[in-house]
Amino acid sequence: MGSKRGRSVIAATFIFFSMSCLNSISTTQAGTSMLDSDTFCISDQYIMKSYFTTQSSLKESEFRNFLRLQQCSENIPYEKDVPVVAMLQHREVTGEGSHRHLLTTIKLLRQSHLHELVIVERLPLGVFADPFELQSLQQRRAFSDVSVFGDTDLEQPSFRSNRSVVEIHVEINGNGEISVELPLHARYQLIGESGYSRVEFGEPDLFLCSRHVPNQEHQQRRCLVLSVGRSKTQTRSVVWDIPAGIRSHTEYVSVITFVAAVLSAFSILVASVLSSKVESCKNTKEL
Amino acid sequence: MSRGGSDKTDESLKRTNLMNFRSLLVSSMLLRVFLIIYGEWQDSHMEVRYTDIDYTVFSDAASLMASGESPYKRTTYRYSPLLALLLVPNSIFHRSWGKFIFSASDLLVGLFIREILKLRKVSEKVCTVSVMVWLLNPFTFTIGTRGNCEPIVCAMILWIILSLMKGNLSQAAFWYGLVVHFRVYPIIYALPIILVLDSKLFRSGQKPPLEDWNTLTSSTEKKTFRLKSLFSRERIMFGLISGGVFLACNAVSFYFYGHEFLHEALLYHLTRTDPRHNFSIYFYHIYLHYERQFSAVEKLISFLPQFTVQLALVFSFSKDLVFCMFLQTVAFVAFNKVITAQYFVWFYCLLPLILPWSRMKLKWEGLLCIILWIGAQTHWLLWGYMLEFKGVNVFLQLWMASLVFLAANTFVLVKIIQRHRFSPLFGQYVSSDGKNVKKLD
Repeated sequence: MGSKRGRSVIAATFIFFSMSCLNSISTTQAGTSMLDSDTFCISDQYIMKSYFTTQSSLKESEFRNFLRLQQCSENIPYEKDVPVVAMLQHREVTGEGSHRHLLTTIKLLRQSHLHELVIVERLPLGVFADPFELQSLQQRRAFSDVSVFGDTDLEQPSFRSNRSVVEIHVEINGNGEISVELPLHARYQLIGESGYSRVEFGEPDLFLCSRHVPNQEHQQRRCLVLSVGRSKTQTRSVVWDIPAGIRSHTEYVSVITFVAAVLSAFSILVASVLSSKVESCKNTKEL
Repeated sequence: MSRGGSDKTDESLKRTNLMNFRSLLVSSMLLRVFLIIYGEWQDSHMEVRYTDIDYTVFSDAASLMASGESPYKRTTYRYSPLLALLLVPNSIFHRSWGKFIFSASDLLVGLFIREILKLRKVSEKVCTVSVMVWLLNPFTFTIGTRGNCEPIVCAMILWIILSLMKGNLSQAAFWYGLVVHFRVYPIIYALPIILVLDSKLFRSGQKPPLEDWNTLTSSTEKKTFRLKSLFSRERIMFGLISGGVFLACNAVSFYFYGHEFLHEALLYHLTRTDPRHNFSIYFYHIYLHYERQFSAVEKLISFLPQFTVQLALVFSFSKDLVFCMFLQTVAFVAFNKVITAQYFVWFYCLLPLILPWSRMKLKWEGLLCIILWIGAQTHWLLWGYMLEFKGVNVFLQLWMASLVFLAANTFVLVKIIQRHRFSPLFGQYVSSDGKNVKKLD
């Protein structure tokens, strides 16, 4: 009895350790196989739509928990998925100024019967995507589907807004290489000392899903969580330095602004009074 | 030589003048139609759209309204529901319907300018030049064709002036109430309009005598303040009718769209403090203080210059109503917490109405004013480009460019005041006993 228990403990420990090893390796190396629990089903058109019906924050842990809970219903046939991995070949922020593009190039290392790549881009605080701009891109067939969730207020500065998420759906073509250019805009940043605020982009979450069939809202879709590896060249993090107000300017900007307003107002006041005095002098001369 | 002969030359001159104006109007109309069609082409073929983003906002709000929903569901729709109602045909006929309405309003402004100047007997040549300043101004013909709704507001303001000049008090009051509901800023004209409705100068139902352009001397008597005349019949009527129309429009809008209407269409404009960069001198000050709210005292202090200037202008120039309105609008825009280029059209439509009374010659004083004003804007835009499109921190330089722009506005305003030939809108009534007689040259 004792030895049986001992063997169970050892086996459990062994499984636990191998699972944690696998988890720690899978995010840094390509070619790792996945667990069957990385398949889930959703019934909405967008993964994030389902997420935001029950959750409100964008924490990594809550998102992972959510995915784990999305069980497939019995009428979805269970299929042993061939593990598919994706390689993040290229990721950078291109362009200049407040309006830039987040360029991501992904290569799928193996074919799958699931034909839609879903990219969930959790944007950092400080940047936003314009839903209307994305809609017009979708109309021009840049993506097969796109939506923005979370805080989509286009006008609020960074510290008054929350994060937003962009979910992009792209059809996979023959060669399995997908390039996505997401237009982003900078929010007004918190004032600081250096004059710039650094915004750092994490990695996107990638999924492979079956195609969404329109008008079949309750039809469940299978999705596969992809593990993402980075290519050797893609080691530095993706950052965007956005101009921000400088705190030390505060005092004298306020004073000079007010003085300028007073001076201008005074000039106009004097000109008006002088002008109406001249007119009344003219009138009294006439009368 | 004979009277019949001079009558004939008068007639043919009138016909030629009318034809010149008509051809100006027709060519302006054709230009606008062309630009609307071109705009549609550019939108569908080029990366940069011709159409203003605001037009897309109005159109979306209008289609929401057409399907029975609130237009305020569209983010950044901050106008009266009347605008969305006007654009409902965008989703029925064609999406350019709104642009045609706005461009038609813009042509209407040209028509009103001519009528106002003709009522004051301005010479044909000066009249035509003034109308051209509006119709052929590149800013003017792009604003309507790009889908901006300001030409409608301008047309309403000019119609109010025209109604007052013809003695139609109720009509003027009705449109005034409507325009303040539509766009809050015309509230600044309330005081000068009330002041000009002096019963010595204006009687409802009668056509008021207007001071002609040819009148070289003004015949108004010295201003003596009488409390009794402050509450004249005309003033009370104007206040009641315009106030009633304003409240009725707001009540109906509130009935349909509730608090969303109040916040988005009214309160937003009264409390707007946008920290994003714009021409106003206050933008950087607001941005640097955005983390903490401004106290009531601070808000009052920053409102004082605006308030003082408005009062000074009204009490100095209210009798010359149109000139007063022009100065007030320029000052209001210059001292506002937020300045965007579309606000300039608010005074562009009044500029042709004051030009005939200006002693300023185009060479070189007029050109200097134009160059300084446009130069200050261009200077600001260059720094704005560096910030927005090159991502360089130039907040301080951009703010200084705003200060330069305020200085340019002040300079131009002072120069216009100095060179203006003061001319009250209404002359004295000729009473039956012949006491108050207009002096005419």
